[in-house]
Amino acid sequence: MDWDRRTFVKFAVGAVLGVHASPLIPKFMDDTAIWTQNWNWVPVPEDGAVAYAKTVNPHTGTGAMAKLIDGRVEGLRAIRVEGNPDHPLSRGGVVPADASALQLLYNNETRVAKPLLRNRATGVMTQITWPQALDLVGGNLAELAQKGQAHQAAALGTDPSSTTGQMLMRLMQALGSPNVAFTPTPRETMALAGLFMTGQPFLGFDLANANFIVSFGTPLLEGFGAPVAVRKAFAGWRGYPKNQAYLVQIEPRASVTASQADQWIACKPGSEGAVALAMCRIMIEEGVYDRAVESAYGWNDVDGMMGFKSYLMKSIDRAKVASLAGVSLPKLVKMTLAFAKADRAVAVCGPGNSGDPGRLYDFMSVLALNALKGNLGKPGGVVAQQPLPLKSLGGALPEPKQPPLAGSDRPFSVNNVHDLAEAALAGKPYGLKTLILCGGNFVFNGPQANLMHDLARKTPFVVAITPYMDESAAMADLVLPSTHWLEGWGDSTTSFGSPVACYGLHRPLVKAVAEAKDAGDTLLALAQRLGGPAAAALPYKNLAEALAKRSQAMGDFKKLAETSYWAQKRPAYGQMRFNTPSGRLELFSRTLRQLVSKGAGGGQDLDKAVRALGVKGGAQAAFLPHWEEPAAYAEGAAYPLIMQAAPSLRTTWGDEAITPYMVKILPDTVLANADKLVVEMNPATARDLHLYAGDMVLVESSAGSLTAKLTLYAGAAPGMVFVPLGLGHQAFGFQVAKKGMNFNRAVKVTSDPMSGMPIWELTGVSVKKVRG
Amino acid sequence: MATHQQGKKQRSRADWLLLVVGLILGSAFGFWITPTILYAEKPQPLQFNHKLHMEQVDNGCKSCHKFREDGSFSGIPGIKSCKNCHSGDEPLGNTPAEKEFMKFLKADKPIPWQVYARQADNVFFSHAAHAENAGLECTRCHGKHGESDKLRPYEYNRLTGYSRDIWGRGPIGLAGPPDRMKMDDCAKCHRDNGVNQACFVCHK
Repeated sequence: MDWDRRTFVKFAVGAVLGVHASPLIPKFMDDTAIWTQNWNWVPVPEDGAVAYAKTVNPHTGTGAMAKLIDGRVEGLRAIRVEGNPDHPLSRGGVVPADASALQLLYNNETRVAKPLLRNRATGVMTQITWPQALDLVGGNLAELAQKGQAHQAAALGTDPSSTTGQMLMRLMQALGSPNVAFTPTPRETMALAGLFMTGQPFLGFDLANANFIVSFGTPLLEGFGAPVAVRKAFAGWRGYPKNQAYLVQIEPRASVTASQADQWIACKPGSEGAVALAMCRIMIEEGVYDRAVESAYGWNDVDGMMGFKSYLMKSIDRAKVASLAGVSLPKLVKMTLAFAKADRAVAVCGPGNSGDPGRLYDFMSVLALNALKGNLGKPGGVVAQQPLPLKSLGGALPEPKQPPLAGSDRPFSVNNVHDLAEAALAGKPYGLKTLILCGGNFVFNGPQANLMHDLARKTPFVVAITPYMDESAAMADLVLPSTHWLEGWGDSTTSFGSPVACYGLHRPLVKAVAEAKDAGDTLLALAQRLGGPAAAALPYKNLAEALAKRSQAMGDFKKLAETSYWAQKRPAYGQMRFNTPSGRLELFSRTLRQLVSKGAGGGQDLDKAVRALGVKGGAQAAFLPHWEEPAAYAEGAAYPLIMQAAPSLRTTWGDEAITPYMVKILPDTVLANADKLVVEMNPATARDLHLYAGDMVLVESSAGSLTAKLTLYAGAAPGMVFVPLGLGHQAFGFQVAKKGMNFNRAVKVTSDPMSGMPIWELTGVSVKKVRG
Repeated sequence: MATHQQGKKQRSRADWLLLVVGLILGSAFGFWITPTILYAEKPQPLQFNHKLHMEQVDNGCKSCHKFREDGSFSGIPGIKSCKNCHSGDEPLGNTPAEKEFMKFLKADKPIPWQVYARQADNVFFSHAAHAENAGLECTRCHGKHGESDKLRPYEYNRLTGYSRDIWGRGPIGLAGPPDRMKMDDCAKCHRDNGVNQACFVCHK
């Protein structure tokens, strides 16, 4: 046997066959197939004991159950957020923001783990220690106070009724600064309308028990109060073979609520309040109203001033209103008569589609309509919530000597973050030296994000207390990490529109990321660092102790924390108590008149005073529920169209950012080509502007602009453009950032007449085609 | 013609032996190289004597590998479970492993054991259904692990990341439990016992 080419080939063939007869090839193929299943980005929780813990999402008001796994090595980890079936409002339901909350909790890319100091020149962030961070902020504030410039420090927070919000107010007041503002909410507008007309600041709608609901331009199903509670009420309205309730939606767009309603009345933007008043007049003329309302203060003329009935008869003509609002008069009359006839009918006002706090006079008009229906204090009507039994965090503090940046010319204190920013930027009456952003991501959420961006850019020292490296944190000089709501203590109070008072408490369920602290604890540490009046104003070891003191009247704190909520047992049915000067329902608000007269110095011309507050109707209308033309109508020919947001529970809720999951479930009619914002326009309007579906357009207002892809939608009112809300982040990782554009960067905020609240429901815009 | 026949080399039949030799060597190489390059070892954080512990407890494996209140299986016990017996500050033995164990105990730190029998993430396996309802002995799948006096090195597959015990230690991975715990083994046992074999039974 010779070793030659042929023998070598035989050996080689034998070897190859031999290798194939071994497990090498099949085993590698098998394991390669298994390897393809092991995507390293799919989080696989460690095995361990599973437990559920009750909590409340403070951003949505949802009663939630966090599913926790007690890993042998990693410890507790939240693996899911479900609904808490025991919670009286959400009853086991969740919205996308709740269900995907863990995507914000466990996102190393965007969570702030340690205090960071930013170099403004280079933008580079460096990690510093907590004592160093507190020395920086404390030192800055102490220096301002020492120089008598404490008023040049301002703080912005999310919820003034939360314990952290209360702490922020006390800290700034003790420091001597009157400049604290919060995210504006419809709760404040409702509180004003309620106080002025009923003397009750906490009014809600008993939606679950109503059988005829008229919603005035408020997105009941896309974002209203505690969103799950409204969805649950809606589920109760539907039935087979017959619906249990009749829902009427009055708004300019065939929104989700409008398309789910039994009747959609497409009105012109901003005319909803006028429609409510027209319904009042129709009810009076047809004699189908509750006669008890005739005993209300201001039903007839008072003190030589016009009463509500006179105002309606003089200024609200049903045909003119129908024409102004662009609705069919016979349909309006028919619907009004059905409303009046229904045994449990309610008219609902609330936040606008753009998420603003709503217009005071529209809220008052809707309350007046409810009064005419006679549903105040009745099942399925408007009910007064029991005030939450919360204690104060301490005694009254001395008022700061300097006037606040905004609102000092108002007869009552107003939370207007927009006016504060505008005044600070103009330096009138003074500028800001320090700005503390305590959550809320104001640079993204605005209102009028451009303005908040400028405020953060131009203020010499900006501190952001936030769980995320969001748009606000990116502009801050100092970023202080705070806990996510599943990691730390915190509370939330009754959601807008709820018929019962409900307090939510959340506690640490999982270990906080690195050095993150509860925002409240950071404020307490800051107060300690400042010492003196600040430390005396907040004498608590930690936020948990403050929460325990504040919620003392709700029973054992430990038990309350485990239950996670306290709720009023049932709505307060029965005769509504009117805490007004007249002791009656006030259709002409004496409270408001007294406040304005006092603010105007008493002797001044009342008419001049109310006009200075933005009330075009003058003194004759200022204290009555009445309708005023929205400011966006007067934007002029340069901005001929009106922009409004198209909200969705899939794009946003509260001040938290959209999550990767929510981005994933957006249709092409909201976000096209994975990253292009889509705006809606009526085909006729597009035709007039020579625009076609798929065109890239520039939507420009006097305050800012955005570019988007155009889609044509017959359900959009002519002359308008509708923009999805909550998109266009520049932060929060690759799954969320650079998806669409931010609606808040194009809105123009104005002040609501009389209330002085910032409103941005409608913005005058121009739309033109751009390349792209 | 004759010239042509003279030119053709007479080949020995023994040439074919080289094919067989190649086959044997190639196969041997395959059997040797497969586990060598595919598997790597990870040390256990400390040694553990199952045999010794089994002598101390009354309820066999279930003394420590318990079912939780919700019916789920606890798997390897946590440090809290160890404290039921190792409650004092002093070690209960004088082995190096015991000294190492005391460090974890005092720091209340979980012991990062490597789990020999951990199934793939896409497998739902209920110990309650098998050990409680069907009455299978632990040894059916875990062999004589409970009688061992020391922990063998943990081997894992470099490609899949799974324990070698899943594919089995046999050279061609054809043995059944307790040597191997692959899907075929689950399916065979389900088939033999008339249990549902649908995908969703194990892959939720």
